[in-house]
Amino acid sequence: MCGIIGYVGFRDANKVLIDSLKRLEYRGYDSAGVSVIDKKQQLFKDVGEIDVFRKNLPNFKGDIGIGHTRWATHGGVTKDNAHPHLSSNKKIAVVHNGIIENYSKLRDNLKNKGYNFLSQTDSEVIAHLIEDNYKGNLEKAVFQALKKVNGYYALVVTCTDEPEKIVGARKDSPLVIGVGDNENFLASDITAFLKYTNRVIYLNDGETCVISKKDIILLDENNKPIEREENIINWELKDAEKSGFPHFMLKEIYDQSETVHHVIRGRISEIDRTIEFNENVEILLKNGIDSIDIVACGTSYYSGLVGKYLIEKLTGIPVNVELSSEYRYFGTRNESSLVIGVTQSGETLDTLAALREAKSSGCKILVITNVIGSTATRISDAYILTQSGPEIGVAATKTFTSQNLVLFLLALKIAKLKNKIGADELYKYILDLKELPRKVRQVLDQSSEIRDIAFQLKNSKSVFFIGRGINYPISLEGALKLKEISYVHAEGFAAGELKHGPFALLTKITPVIAIVTNDSTYDKMIANIGEVKARGPQVIAVAEENDTEIEKHADFVLRFPSNSNILSCIPIAILLQLLSYHVASLKGCSIDKPRNLAKSVTVE
Amino acid sequence: MKCVILAAGEGKRMHPLTFTRPKVMLPIGNKPLLEWNLLNAIDAGIKEFIFVVGYKSEMVRNYFGDGEKWNVKIEYVNQGEPLGTAHAISVVEKFVKDFIVICGDTIFGKEDFKNIVKTKDCMGLVKVENASEYGIVELDEENVVKIYEKIDEPFTNIINGGIYHFSSKIFSYIRKTKKSLRGEFEITDSINMMVKYTKLRGIFLKNWRDVVYPWHLLDANEEILKKINKKIDGTFEKNTAIKGKIIVGKNSKILSGSYIEGPVVIGENCKIGPNCYIRPYTSIGNNCHIGNACEVKNSIILNNSNVPHQNYVGDSVIGENCNLGAGTKVANLRLDKGNIKVVLNGKKLDTKRRKLGMILGDNVQTGINSMMNVGAIIGNNVFIGPGSIANGEIESESKIL
Repeated sequence: MCGIIGYVGFRDANKVLIDSLKRLEYRGYDSAGVSVIDKKQQLFKDVGEIDVFRKNLPNFKGDIGIGHTRWATHGGVTKDNAHPHLSSNKKIAVVHNGIIENYSKLRDNLKNKGYNFLSQTDSEVIAHLIEDNYKGNLEKAVFQALKKVNGYYALVVTCTDEPEKIVGARKDSPLVIGVGDNENFLASDITAFLKYTNRVIYLNDGETCVISKKDIILLDENNKPIEREENIINWELKDAEKSGFPHFMLKEIYDQSETVHHVIRGRISEIDRTIEFNENVEILLKNGIDSIDIVACGTSYYSGLVGKYLIEKLTGIPVNVELSSEYRYFGTRNESSLVIGVTQSGETLDTLAALREAKSSGCKILVITNVIGSTATRISDAYILTQSGPEIGVAATKTFTSQNLVLFLLALKIAKLKNKIGADELYKYILDLKELPRKVRQVLDQSSEIRDIAFQLKNSKSVFFIGRGINYPISLEGALKLKEISYVHAEGFAAGELKHGPFALLTKITPVIAIVTNDSTYDKMIANIGEVKARGPQVIAVAEENDTEIEKHADFVLRFPSNSNILSCIPIAILLQLLSYHVASLKGCSIDKPRNLAKSVTVE
Repeated sequence: MKCVILAAGEGKRMHPLTFTRPKVMLPIGNKPLLEWNLLNAIDAGIKEFIFVVGYKSEMVRNYFGDGEKWNVKIEYVNQGEPLGTAHAISVVEKFVKDFIVICGDTIFGKEDFKNIVKTKDCMGLVKVENASEYGIVELDEENVVKIYEKIDEPFTNIINGGIYHFSSKIFSYIRKTKKSLRGEFEITDSINMMVKYTKLRGIFLKNWRDVVYPWHLLDANEEILKKINKKIDGTFEKNTAIKGKIIVGKNSKILSGSYIEGPVVIGENCKIGPNCYIRPYTSIGNNCHIGNACEVKNSIILNNSNVPHQNYVGDSVIGENCNLGAGTKVANLRLDKGNIKVVLNGKKLDTKRRKLGMILGDNVQTGINSMMNVGAIIGNNVFIGPGSIANGEIESESKIL
């Protein structure tokens, strides 16, 4: 979730860049940098606060420059690793978001040619690679360089030999042109330049652009010029951080069409049909695992329950999921167990205590978190980042689905190591993962239908969520979301458990939300719905799009895209998040900051 | 000679009309305020313009484009953020040398543009009756000594007219300008520094109309309509009565029984009548309908709005896409004949007008027989139910039932 900005125009580039970096601050960052051209590349980068950065920034002259805020996903947080990166001849400056998958090969080639590397980042490769291809025209050099690159990128490049232009390119990472008068902008996020212009041109995957004071040139993937109309953005500056959404939570729900992709970025290789994690994780997993304990709180705990289902199904290894606050006092410690801590912030006190407890008993610790450098990453033997970008809404949304997906990747990896699945089966799952963003978008497109159903729930005193198998923890999470943000009492149950007690609570005014998937549990779920209906409540089924039978049994049906595999839990979870959001919004609740709750719980 | 027009402001004091358009795009006599300045400046021989834009800049750009339609060159510079007049002028530094600057929310006459253009280093001055609402100017013979911000008991009735002729010297003083008490970089502070070293002549303006509050649009409208020439592009049925000068746009139809007393401007594609009475100083936008038994007086009606059946609208401004229900009437005079006071942005103000109807935002609908009290200021997308009375300031998106 790094931020990119490029400026060329009549203002002091320094001032525009720092202003924009400040605007991008909300997305989270750990280091920042700018380079402004005045005959040579004037470069300044630093680690830490933007306000301190602003104070220390030298007064560079010049009206063209690029800037970057970095939120490290790999490579430590250091000054050298911050962007922009310069080429060996110091003429070309590059800022980059994304991952260059073949960077070590490229790096070796370039080193052999005598290029001098200063950082550990994959991004620096691009700067040298562009220099290597530079023959007097920057856009051509960028185009030639990118031909050699495998991976994802949004990048912005300047060169002192052509001090009037900025070249941008994107593939799978956002980059947008801000169209001004006598000035133009390139940024990862409209917020960065919205102060100066609300006219934008979106760049598509594979395209390159060249901006100068007066001109904008768009080039397609074959380097042929193309024309595109500009769009007008009608957000107020204050709405821009939410990308025009009324609440962070809704923005973050919508972010999931991208975050479900980000989480697999750089971790799956379609060609080799393998799953790769960072070195420490690989070492931990190769040691052989007999049992796993997952410790977590709240939404992360439910993600752990999803993980239990996935790991046990794919690997056969027994998984025990414990609430951190219980585990730390009462859990049994088996030093041969791998203990996985799941925490969005990496600072959840209960989970940290549980992990320390496990560590002192001799267990190996793996952490799944969203925040690099957090305490959890430091006390662990290895960590995996969810790569979701900062989550500002207190109710976890995109980090929940990303945690589930990390656990899924982990299950696949272990299964492959243990030869429980073959390369073909793994490939099938990889294809399913690649399909996921589209399925997520299909759910998001139904927002207004989901809102209609939310009207049914907004006056309810109590709501039940039921599901079986992997959808049992999804029911628990669905209920938690509703509780958290709309203050409606909600409970999730394993569908088979209703008759063992909860039935006593069912009345005509207790809506029941039933998750129904076309698998071995289908008939049982239909039977459960029948039992519920017999006692009077309305049933809202969450069912596959091609399930016509369900309409005979449920009062209302919400649809998720058919995907008869375990990954359908992701679209379902998102559908339930939207449902809770709409109920809360109809009730006028404080969605991003529910009463009595904090984003990161650092107390016991 | 380039003319810089400061057109970036949101115009909060023009709410609700400026929720959906920048202040300079408010229509007077069916043309945006900014166009009147452009036309007068062109008449005075100016051919190059820089519009400093910001708030909803796309509306300005879409309307004026590169100036080809007026045979002039228009460039745009985005102010970035609204940090005050000195900041707004600072952004054009790289584009001008010897130039004039005007505040976009004031209309200046052709002669005034000419006088300011031909005098190097000068600013426009106006004599007013009560200067307590304005920045006042202290003179030493004809040169400016100091500009004061609003003061309660002004020692002079000479005020800053908001038009200047500068050389690039001004930019060095702008760079030294500090934030004022109200938190903005003000050009008057830069000028006060400059006049210690450089003479700045005061030139008295002949034609000057500032437009601050919505009801000032009615004054400006009246002044502009007084000067119109008759131009008819629409069609008339039999038995219509036309007195004085009127302008009727293309495809507009004036139906039988309409009685129109000019000066009145009617836009394109309007349907006027049958049987209506339109009184002087009324501007009606495009695609409007004034229907049976309606009387409209001294009012501005924006595009796509209807005053369709048995309505009275006096001394009012009606936004775009509004529809009045049958029998909706507007009060425009207090029974005690006192000044009409309004509440705008939560603040009570004396309009100093004896007659003022309503100020309506965009997309307002009123129910049958609803009543709008004097000085009612009604936001966008408001719904006034049948038989309801609208009073005071009504927030956007409200329903009055």
